[in-house]
Amino acid sequence: MKIRTVTEDFIKDLLMKGQREDGRQPMSYRNIELKTGVIPNAEGSAQVIMGNTKMLAGVKVGVGEPMPDKPGEGNLITSAELHPMASDQFESGPPSPEAIELGRVIDRGIRAADMINSKSLGIDEEKVWEVFIDIYTLNYDGNLFDAGTLAAAAALYSARMPKYDAENEEVIREGNLGRFKIGGMVTSSTFGKIAGKVILDPDGNEEAFMDARITIANDENYLRAMQKGLGGSFSQKELETLIDASFQKSKDLRKLIISKVE
Amino acid sequence: MQRIVVPGEKLSEKQLRIENTITDANGTYSCILGSFDEQTLSLIPLEGLWQPRNGDTIIGIVEEDRGTTVTVNLNAPYKGLIISKFLESEIKAGDIIVSTIKELEKGGTAILIRPKVLGAGKLMSVTPSKIPRIIGKANTMVKQITDGTGTSVVIGLNGLVWLSGGDVDLATAAILKIEEEAHTSGLTERVKELLDNKKMV
Amino acid sequence: MGGGEKPQLIINGKRLDGRMPDELRPIKIEVGTIRNAVGSSYIEWGNNKIIAAVYGPKEALPKHVQDPERAIIKCRYTMAPFSSLEEHGRSGPNRRSTEISKVTKEVFENVIMLEKYPGAEIDIFVEVLQGDGGTRAAGITAASVALAASGIPMTDMPYGVSFGKVGDQVILDLNKIEDNYSDADMPIAISPRTGDILLLQMDGTLTPEDVDLGMHMVRKAGEYITKLQREALKQSYEKISEKYKK
Repeated sequence: MKIRTVTEDFIKDLLMKGQREDGRQPMSYRNIELKTGVIPNAEGSAQVIMGNTKMLAGVKVGVGEPMPDKPGEGNLITSAELHPMASDQFESGPPSPEAIELGRVIDRGIRAADMINSKSLGIDEEKVWEVFIDIYTLNYDGNLFDAGTLAAAAALYSARMPKYDAENEEVIREGNLGRFKIGGMVTSSTFGKIAGKVILDPDGNEEAFMDARITIANDENYLRAMQKGLGGSFSQKELETLIDASFQKSKDLRKLIISKVE
Repeated sequence: MQRIVVPGEKLSEKQLRIENTITDANGTYSCILGSFDEQTLSLIPLEGLWQPRNGDTIIGIVEEDRGTTVTVNLNAPYKGLIISKFLESEIKAGDIIVSTIKELEKGGTAILIRPKVLGAGKLMSVTPSKIPRIIGKANTMVKQITDGTGTSVVIGLNGLVWLSGGDVDLATAAILKIEEEAHTSGLTERVKELLDNKKMV
Repeated sequence: MGGGEKPQLIINGKRLDGRMPDELRPIKIEVGTIRNAVGSSYIEWGNNKIIAAVYGPKEALPKHVQDPERAIIKCRYTMAPFSSLEEHGRSGPNRRSTEISKVTKEVFENVIMLEKYPGAEIDIFVEVLQGDGGTRAAGITAASVALAASGIPMTDMPYGVSFGKVGDQVILDLNKIEDNYSDADMPIAISPRTGDILLLQMDGTLTPEDVDLGMHMVRKAGEYITKLQREALKQSYEKISEKYKK
């Protein structure tokens, strides 16, 4: 029974004037805060606060077996949770299609950018590292795709890589440990379309009235994952403009991650 | 002298009859997070829910037209209900309305009368216990906001406030300030300051 | 900690983390962590990091769970899959967390004035972001604060804390490694106003004298925990009052 704080007309009227309810330009992000190492028990972790959206990603590393067709390659398992404490729009129970979509889109970007090279995750012939990324929504106010990708990328980038003690078959998680080999650093930019106007980083009120959404994930050089969502559509010209915008925006996001880790 | 008290905190060694308290053999205790005035022995909630009364003005969102009745979301554990034959004009799901409670039914339903649809504007949700402060003594506070911003302000006792026209951002800022500082004195002056300063910019 | 030899948990009267037998871990409580929630809090209790959030009262759904006389409480305690120093955990509820959710809910049925909201439900979420032993007690302590912050009327603010036994020594507030190798563990929740016990579980081997000693430690620690809960709630308001004091 979420009470919308703004009506559709109010948001649309503002957009026609090129304005947004929080005073932002159509193509700007909200203020972003990023903190790494927030969960010391996890091998890597990061909290992202984007406006009132708050997300937490944790990386755990374990030992598993390689896929039969990919000997010597490790596994990456990414999932997202829309925790019911984050909004009264989220319900307890099995993951919703929205949560699964969110987890899969973030996963694709990280995987395609080879952010963690799976070939570097082999231990021996029978064992490989399994890297779990869990992305938690703590408070929902729109744009979970970008906040989630940012949290996941920062958690991975800052994660310590455990060592395997083959003799005792033990994982050493503390002490003097290195980091994972990082390939492309992926971030994403999500755009919403309301009454024909396109905006970056829609907040919860804007998402409630959005006709279409597109998430564009890229690293420095290439597009790595995209997902168009909701019932509306984008023109090819819009797509081209937004791809350019995503490459532009990702520079700052990458800088932010690097600044919080080194 | 006012002090902030929490549930379970002792207010007095005596057994007093004060709203939102509980007494036992040892004294009187608060049941809420509130502001307690030791002289007047009044305990005002700082957070919390709206307790509906007959005649309350509310703002709600129309949920569903069930034919003979229309249900209204009041952002509360109570549902609003309009009997369709009392409707003077058409309303549809998603409309934001201001209305009055005619009577309360057992089980948490409020029968609403004289619904009026509000047009384009901004709906804010504030802590219901702060609403009296936003209205002010004899409407002084809300009038001050309207005069200072040109925004028309409709207030629902259920904690919803409707803003339209004028400087909506400034009106929002003023209301948020009142909500945050509701338990302090000299607030009218400080809100006036806020409105005056912003206007000059 | 996989199997192996039992480490010596108390050396020269002090515990592995330097605490005395009746000493709590450091505790920090914040209010208002989850903006969308009606009330919320965040607690750091030693290495535990836990969020509690409250939604409601709202219409209880599905309808058949409604009680026409009073509100019902739904409680969901879960541990994040990255919360442990060891293996990745499974996300969502399991048998352990379902039991903890149930006993936590029963704690608050004692103190929330449920009769004020017939037909409604109150949701309490306790999410352990990092766990290091004693999470149910810390979660109850945090949930109390979140409930008070929500404005829901309560006759008291319960706190939780556990005690246990290592060898022949009764100790307060076991952390994970102590819990793993202890001879007994007994989590408790108490209503400080009445002194009544609202949650009690026990596992292991204790004498009646151990329980007396442990309960004495619990109540003494409880005075301090209650003080922290109250300060966390009052702080933000008092800061504003202070600012405008004449």
